[in-house]
Amino acid sequence: MNGCEDKVASIERWLDGELSGAESESLRVHMVACAGCSEARRRLEKLQSTLTGVLSSEAQRVDFMPFWRAVQLRINEKRPWYQDALDWMRGVLPASRLAWVVPAVIALLLAGVSLESYWRGGRNAFATVESIDAYGRNVALLREYDTKTTVIWLYQDQEGENEAAEETAPSGPAF
Amino acid sequence: MKLLKKPPLRVLLFSLLAMLAVAVTGTAQTQPQNIEVRIGAILASNQNDEFDARLKGLEKQLRVLKYRSYRLLTDKSENIPRNGNKVFEIPGGRSLMVTPQEFQDNRIALQVRLTDGKKPLLDTTVRIANKGNFILGGPPHEGGVLVLSISATVQ
Repeated sequence: MNGCEDKVASIERWLDGELSGAESESLRVHMVACAGCSEARRRLEKLQSTLTGVLSSEAQRVDFMPFWRAVQLRINEKRPWYQDALDWMRGVLPASRLAWVVPAVIALLLAGVSLESYWRGGRNAFATVESIDAYGRNVALLREYDTKTTVIWLYQDQEGENEAAEETAPSGPAF
Repeated sequence: MKLLKKPPLRVLLFSLLAMLAVAVTGTAQTQPQNIEVRIGAILASNQNDEFDARLKGLEKQLRVLKYRSYRLLTDKSENIPRNGNKVFEIPGGRSLMVTPQEFQDNRIALQVRLTDGKKPLLDTTVRIANKGNFILGGPPHEGGVLVLSISATVQ
């Protein structure tokens, strides 16, 4: 049996009919030549025969009807929608793929934040005047959309203002 | 590089990089130490059709005002610490005190106070985009009007 330890497993599979034709033939030839393996085969066949006998006699006394009824009930049972969804998720996203979903979601969120920031930057290119006090003078506020320009225009041509005001031709721009 | 062939490690590495990016994005909006404020004083008039070549970058904005001539008189920039202020001397004996107040959503709030000697002319608070500007104009000067381009950049 020296060096034949792995053959025991093959003999078990052979007895269960799980080996292919070529494997079965190879094992059969080996067992003819190897006394240890032949003895192992004999012991396993005896064990299988005993187990089969016991199970067959006991099975006749077991009432399988409740078992089959339960199986039928499970088959006919309407599964909740989330169970179907979970099964579908497991099929589409096995654990290895699911591991990638987390960083992918993070990346998508980051992209969303960046886009929002970019969009907000464009929208907020205009200067916004939060407070203004011209000490009684007239002030005009202009927003020009093409160039995104905000203009605060201070009119200083009131009586009592400096002399230079009188030198100025227009009192304000023509915007 | 052998480690990179193991999917869990690649995922972990990717996640760490993503988290790092999130951290960097988050800290990008922290309050800056300094704001560079630039004041360009421009004389706008209808005396001729001269357009100062140094004002090329502002041409589209200035054309909104409909004057025929624009000439750059002074162009000064100063780094102003957060919560500090700086007084800029403006042609015509005027002065402009600028106080950066807040930086939020990539926008800078500036308090601007224009005075003529001791006489206050205008006191305003304007929120502008980082590296953006606004125009303050109107005070008469040398046969035209003074136009100020006030811009701010986070340092």
